[in-house]
Amino acid sequence: MQNGVLAGLRRRSPVAGLDRRNLGPAEVLAQSVSSAAPAAGMATVPAFVAVTAGTATVWSFALATGLALLVAACIAQFTRRMAAAGSLYSLTAKGLGPGAAFASGAALLSGYAVLVMAALTGAAVYTDALLERLGWRAPPAVGAAAVVLLAAVAGALVLRGVRVSARTVLAVEAVSITLMVVIFVVLLGAPPAPAAPGAGPPGDLAGIAAGVLPALGAFIGFEAATTLGVEARRPFVSVPRAVLATAVLVGLLSILAAYTQVVGFAGALGGQPEPVLTLAAVHGAPWLASLLDLGIATSFVACTLATTNALVRVLFSMGRDGIAPRALGATHRRYRTPHIAIAVALPVVAAVPAVLLAAGMTGPDALRLLLAVATAGYLVGYLLVCLAAPLFLRRIGELTPGPVVATVIAVPALALACGAFVVSALDAAAPVVLAALLVAAAAWYAWLRLRRPRELAGIGVYDETSALDVHGARPP
Amino acid sequence: MTGLDPLPLSGRQPRAVRSALAVLEEVVAAGPGVTAKEISAALKLPQATTYRLLNLLVGEEYLVRLPDLRGFALGRRSARLAPHAAPAPPTAARAVVEHLRGLVRWGVHLASYATGQVTLVDRDPDHPPTEDALLARYPHASALGKVLLADQPDWRGVIRDLRRLTEQTVVDATALDRQLATVTTTGLAQQFGELRPDRGCLAVPIRSPADDTLVAGLALAGPPNRIAEADGRVVELLREHAERLAPLLG
Repeated sequence: MQNGVLAGLRRRSPVAGLDRRNLGPAEVLAQSVSSAAPAAGMATVPAFVAVTAGTATVWSFALATGLALLVAACIAQFTRRMAAAGSLYSLTAKGLGPGAAFASGAALLSGYAVLVMAALTGAAVYTDALLERLGWRAPPAVGAAAVVLLAAVAGALVLRGVRVSARTVLAVEAVSITLMVVIFVVLLGAPPAPAAPGAGPPGDLAGIAAGVLPALGAFIGFEAATTLGVEARRPFVSVPRAVLATAVLVGLLSILAAYTQVVGFAGALGGQPEPVLTLAAVHGAPWLASLLDLGIATSFVACTLATTNALVRVLFSMGRDGIAPRALGATHRRYRTPHIAIAVALPVVAAVPAVLLAAGMTGPDALRLLLAVATAGYLVGYLLVCLAAPLFLRRIGELTPGPVVATVIAVPALALACGAFVVSALDAAAPVVLAALLVAAAAWYAWLRLRRPRELAGIGVYDETSALDVHGARPP
Repeated sequence: MTGLDPLPLSGRQPRAVRSALAVLEEVVAAGPGVTAKEISAALKLPQATTYRLLNLLVGEEYLVRLPDLRGFALGRRSARLAPHAAPAPPTAARAVVEHLRGLVRWGVHLASYATGQVTLVDRDPDHPPTEDALLARYPHASALGKVLLADQPDWRGVIRDLRRLTEQTVVDATALDRQLATVTTTGLAQQFGELRPDRGCLAVPIRSPADDTLVAGLALAGPPNRIAEADGRVVELLREHAERLAPLLG
């Protein structure tokens, strides 16, 4: 009756309950693009990169794009072969085993959670700036209230169904990117700003290399489509494409932004506090400033939604894996979203920035701190998935030279970026937060080793082929 | 399913198409669980090419990767490449259906689920049923279809488009969930004017006595208001005949 191989098939997928196979390619792409929040990166990142790269800032971005493409290629080795909801940690599990997968999971969990906090803060900061430009100076409590309100709206949308939230993300992000492209094209035609005293450093090779780390910051979040593997209509095609296309799109937008700003400041871009606003003022177009605030605020709103989608799916996968409370793996019967994970995660990610802002920390300071913490988590996740890719291919007997080359280039580069990040973040509050997170993750791991060794060993749930998917297999 | 590229074939593409079909055929020949390396060796195709073709066929769902991620098997979509007709019911089974027709005033139809769809294999000549294509395509609107859907681990894997065919059609996934749960517990599916406004239907499953798998369904069709008022005796008759059909069809 039933062939031996097919007899072992499950009746239901282990991730059953999610809205399986329902998202088109544009919605999957929007998830990745929005999570990377290109608008915010375009406005702020080039000035950081220019501190070391000077006039060669564009080259730092080109290198960072190359590195992001290599990471995307490594991720694609998995996403062309398996559909998961747990982002890179479910993938890493298939190549490196439970310990590394847990490290990836913990790193990405904090990365996603803190990025949502940062995006909420960013949305509040830039909305506040926009209101101020329009003539209303809001007290600090308003910022905290805005954070809570946006978190509630995001939670409702993410709960209501993956399709609704994905389409909202797509619409909001489209507005944001259109605004940013308009702004930068207008600025390209502007006369250069007066060079600051002491022009920027010459763009030597070391400077370009040092600029790659901040440039990489513009790409953080571009892997978010990997959390929609279960819900994408054609996951093996649309997820790898979305991640690759996001690397290309963010790269192009960043290079456009960097070029505009380097030319605008005649080489003295490094360390400018508000480079785009300064350029807009020189151009005699103050309306550009309002447009810019709007573009960045909408970008952060889309980022909040997209990253919340990603965060709750990582929690969902951990619940199904049994390494987090199993209730997190529950799904809403009607909306087919992980409602318990949403209910647990959102109050936390809303409370942290709301408390920071209400306690009197300035918005931009809070944003910088949160972004630094999030970046660390992502870098660890990227490093591990790149390391895992060739091992995964070898395990399933499909290793070819290409993926090995990608890993051999990407892993040392990412390791260097991680090292440079640690050094650059030493003087701020970020290391304290990171150390605390590291201790928490280690304690969690120790507890799992002790109490749930079997679940830990089986980590890495994904949308396995079930009897229903195979021609000729009978459901057991 | 997806818009296909209208570009004409050029260069090495014809060879790639031939190779893809050869890979598909090799999976059938070697049986489920065959690995990429084995396929590459059997077809003497370069490994990188084989892996790309396999990923392509998996992306299009003609093939699936088995849970170990190494082995391949034919995907559900491949069933469309070789449609096979449902076997005609044996004479003894037709006699049972005919017997029921003599006892009730309404149409009696027998459907097979052997192809994974609703396929009528014995239509009541005096009460022509809804056309086959509609029954096969919109199982959510017919009683025989609901019997089939209720038996699936996840009916969403079988049907995606809950199309509205009449005022009465259930197009809400949650409402359908509830209906199918009732079908599972009572062993009786009903629809009143959901497929055609002037037709209602009752259906019961016929399960193989050997392994309890769903093999066929027996349905009564008539005007919706009359079907809705059908008394317990009619349902009993339907169940009785379904039970007599089970050993003949299972």
